[in-house]
Amino acid sequence: MTVISATAIRPKVKRKIDWWRWAGRGFLTFLLLFTVLPMAWMILTSVKSQFAAMQYPPQWWPSEPTLNNYFKLLDPRGRIGQDFLRYFWNSFYVSVLTTILGVVVAVPAAYAFSRFRFPGRNFMFFAVLVRNMFPAVVFLMPLFLLMRWMGLVNTHGSLILTYLTFGLPLSIWLLKGFYDNIPIQLEQAARIDGATRFQAFIYIVMPLSTPGIIATSIFSFIGAWNEYVYAYTFLSRDSQMTLPVGIQRFFTEFATDWPGLMAATFLMSVPVVVMFLVLQKYFVRALTEGAVKH
Amino acid sequence: MAEVVLSHVMKSYGSLYAVNDVSFTVEHGEFVALVGPSGCGKTTTLNLIAGLIPMSGGDIAIGDRIVNDLDPKDRDIAMVFQNYALYPNKTVYKNLAFPLQMRKLPAAEIDLKVRKAAEVLDMVHLLERKPRELSGGQQQRVALGRALVRDPAVFLMDEPLSNLDAKLRVQMRSELKRFHHNLNATVVYVTHDQLEAVTMADKMAVMNGGVLQQYDSPANVFANPVNTFVASFIGSPAMSLIPLEAAGNALISPEGWELPLSAMNARKAAASTTNKVILGARHSTLTLHKAPSPGSVPGKVYTVEPTGDVTFAQIFINGALVNISLDPTVALAPDEHVWVEFDQERLHLFDAETTMALAAS
Ligand SMILES: Nc1ncnc2c1ncn2[C@@H]1O[C@H](COP(=O)(O)OP(=O)(O)OP(=O)(O)O)[C@@H](O)[C@H]1O
Ligand SMILES: [Mg+2]
Repeated sequence: MTVISATAIRPKVKRKIDWWRWAGRGFLTFLLLFTVLPMAWMILTSVKSQFAAMQYPPQWWPSEPTLNNYFKLLDPRGRIGQDFLRYFWNSFYVSVLTTILGVVVAVPAAYAFSRFRFPGRNFMFFAVLVRNMFPAVVFLMPLFLLMRWMGLVNTHGSLILTYLTFGLPLSIWLLKGFYDNIPIQLEQAARIDGATRFQAFIYIVMPLSTPGIIATSIFSFIGAWNEYVYAYTFLSRDSQMTLPVGIQRFFTEFATDWPGLMAATFLMSVPVVVMFLVLQKYFVRALTEGAVKH
Repeated sequence: MAEVVLSHVMKSYGSLYAVNDVSFTVEHGEFVALVGPSGCGKTTTLNLIAGLIPMSGGDIAIGDRIVNDLDPKDRDIAMVFQNYALYPNKTVYKNLAFPLQMRKLPAAEIDLKVRKAAEVLDMVHLLERKPRELSGGQQQRVALGRALVRDPAVFLMDEPLSNLDAKLRVQMRSELKRFHHNLNATVVYVTHDQLEAVTMADKMAVMNGGVLQQYDSPANVFANPVNTFVASFIGSPAMSLIPLEAAGNALISPEGWELPLSAMNARKAAASTTNKVILGARHSTLTLHKAPSPGSVPGKVYTVEPTGDVTFAQIFINGALVNISLDPTVALAPDEHVWVEFDQERLHLFDAETTMALAAS
């Protein structure tokens, strides 16, 4: 709206160059390059041969692009391929389970915080939020001891539980905002129209909070997908490693294989990028709608 | 179709009684308007009938069943919410179909009923739209349609017209009245707007502070308000109330004048618990004189408001502002001294102590 009125009101005299606007554009361009260039460099390096990657002065544009590095990583018969694919699967499995369990817990919790008044409600919500005020590493030792006590060290269960601990507060808080913004009368109307309380939730409330559920899913998936410190601490067997830790092993084992490392890094970012592209619509809606009233 | 019976219904929020010992019966096919000032418990009462909130005490019966413990879905009611509560992610068609789907009707029958309701409400062309693509009036019709598709025993409506502009409100008012007439439906209708209540309702339930004050036909509520609250709440401009003292056959003012009472009114005044009474009179029952005349009392003009057809004036009498309606040809100036004559047949007397209307013993 502001754009339209601004152009409509603008007088037809020739205006001076708006330096602020140009400065803004320059700054944004700089930011864009800052984020895009490393990624571009990563992709460019990943299609170079080992020899081309080490040349000096550097070869900006690969003279003989090759997909060999990718073939190596994705070849289930080679040793590198076997390792990479196992790490990839481990990460995927841990992240997806974390995400699904997170939604299953966060949705009812957020709904209860939003709709019901029960003893200890404020305290519990506060406790949930307080978790967010400490950096994750603070909990490393306590959680490790806890996991060992429960016999979960060296299992993926320890990671999933830990990631849930870190993901849930944000998910619950974000979803509660969504439910707060859905008028209670919608559920009441559904119940009068013949729905049970549960059906009203499933048919009316859930669809309205889909953007929120998707946004929280993305957050917890990415959180789990990228996590390094806990995976490094809780797991010791090579076959269990998740991608961030596994790739780091590549780095130490094949210290000179930059193109291979870059290809692995690129493959690791693919699921996240695809998810963003597919769900972008919901994600933007979640961040805008959740905050303001419909 | 069914009757609705509330007996001794209570709803408390902590120490606040939002609904306090309310009892009334809505006969089969009756249109009852629930009126009262903001926060008096109208919505709460409606929600209790619907079963959306638990009662703190009392019984509610719909038809011949006590419904205290029934879910809203099992009470055979439909409700139109004040803010319409249309499902924002569903099209109009799906909004109308939802109550039928929940009752597991076959798809063909659902389609038939939805289209029929849409036709009746003149919104066939809107069926594929989402609620946000509709005007306020159209949304209101969809909300009404969602209530109508499955002909329930009782309709509950919470200020369904309050969000509409004045013109649309008048139009929808007559449409609602026609619906009630055609369907012979039992309706409980919450409104702020007295005119809506008076024009549409068979009976009016006047509430204040969670307590039911009076339950009667609009004409009776208007003619015989049971207490000073109802007297001053119903009617526009409000009934004027003047505190006075009863003495034999007259009312005495501390200002020094006295108003002789008819035999009937004197008996009423004598029934007061103390000698303090409140005299009530509607603007149209008063006559203005520019000179002292028998049976009139002195006052001073406060404001004069010409409205075209009729001029309203406020007169200071015994410290109270009294509304009076006048022929527009009457010229009055502020602070002018005038005399006001009361119609003995149509004046009201209330006990100043209990605020209840006095009856001749
Ligand atoms: N959930 C609640 N918790 C506490 N108090 C409540 C709750 N719901 C309503 N109340 C109180 O109960 C009283 C009656 O509220 P209600 O909504 O029934 O009023 P109303 O007559 O519908 O008013 P309005 O005309 O403004 O809609 C009010 O004092 C209100 O503050
Ligand atoms: Mg209300």
